[in-house]
Amino acid sequence: MAEMFKLGLVLMLVALIAAVALGVVNSRTAPVIAIQKELEKQSAMNQVAGSLSPGDSLAFDSLAISGLENPYASSDNTLSVVKVSVPPDTSRVGYVYIAYGKGYSSTVQTIVAVSPDGVISGTTILFQQETPGLGANVVNPVKLIEKFTGLTATECILTKDGGGIDAMTGCTITSRAVTNSVRTGLDAMNDAGLFSSGNGEQVDIEDTGDPVDHNSEGGVE
Amino acid sequence: MSLVKDLTNGIYRENPIFRLALGMCPFLAVTTSVENALGMGAAVIFVLISSNFLVSLFRNLIPSKVRIPCYIVIIATFVTLVDMVMHAYLPELHRSLGIFIPLIVVNCIILGRAEGFASRRPVLNSIADAIGMGTGFTLAMVILASFREILGSGTWLNMNILGTAYQNQPLLIAILAPGAFILLAFILGFFNILEKRRGGSQ
Repeated sequence: MAEMFKLGLVLMLVALIAAVALGVVNSRTAPVIAIQKELEKQSAMNQVAGSLSPGDSLAFDSLAISGLENPYASSDNTLSVVKVSVPPDTSRVGYVYIAYGKGYSSTVQTIVAVSPDGVISGTTILFQQETPGLGANVVNPVKLIEKFTGLTATECILTKDGGGIDAMTGCTITSRAVTNSVRTGLDAMNDAGLFSSGNGEQVDIEDTGDPVDHNSEGGVE
Repeated sequence: MSLVKDLTNGIYRENPIFRLALGMCPFLAVTTSVENALGMGAAVIFVLISSNFLVSLFRNLIPSKVRIPCYIVIIATFVTLVDMVMHAYLPELHRSLGIFIPLIVVNCIILGRAEGFASRRPVLNSIADAIGMGTGFTLAMVILASFREILGSGTWLNMNILGTAYQNQPLLIAILAPGAFILLAFILGFFNILEKRRGGSQ
């Protein structure tokens, strides 16, 4: 009986020390990690948006559009689409949005830049935790996301699903997650009337007016 | 003398992959490219040294009846701490090695060496064992990854080896899971023949 208590006590102590250590380190590192993620997101967005208007310094305005929030987030994500313009001109040169796709072992986040008429001009993977050596290769643009450039929503579909984009070998789930999430995003923007159908007509919808960096919390693991 | 023996033990005589057959799951999953093999190897060596050190340090404090749960908690806690600190302060390193960290927690080499070696040896010997085992694991991964990357992608460490013509039609199975098993079987067979020859001549 006494031994059982002793063993239980040891286990409790080990667990207690572990929990305290994890708690302390987490509370110290969590804010730093959040800042790192934010910086990463900003630089990825800048990089992708650069494909819309190369060489210009760009301004971002976030728009709230339903259907583009992270469906896997616990809290709702107010940032869904960002309107890109070249200051001082406020008319759009395109949009940037984040596509969230449930992959094999993580929610893959893809940043997509799209021109005012709905053609993808650039993509990059913001976050993924897929299988190393297989799905994780999605970060290599040549494997998949490079193929999105120049496509519209209707063309953004895997060969296996009846489209023209070849999936990464052995990683159909990851490829499908990315491709479908990108297409879903394009569809939602189309439904919201963001894309002009060739006549150059500018559609204005509720502009939240906030610069992106105040409003882009909610990157999700 | 025994320190040197503990150090070299894991590299060939008790190589975790070819001799002990430990840690097969991450081994087969990660060896699709030499780059991955080196990254995973570095992460494993680091975690193995730290966990062997901690387990060996506390070996007289932990009652043997509850040692396994204690080791698991120690290792899991430590790996998580490393992950968080690395993510916060070394984001570049975390980007390249971070994906391997969840795989290390399930790597039975770590627990196997904690239980089989560090729990009854002094700290220095445990560290030597960790370095040897980690190096042996890395070597084994680089060997298999070399075969898989060259056959499956036509490259080695992302350098073009077999030419563009081959890269358009590579032997894809080498990159996929069945290829890992088939190639591993050949390598294990080769080492068994070596061992037999050596045994026969003595």
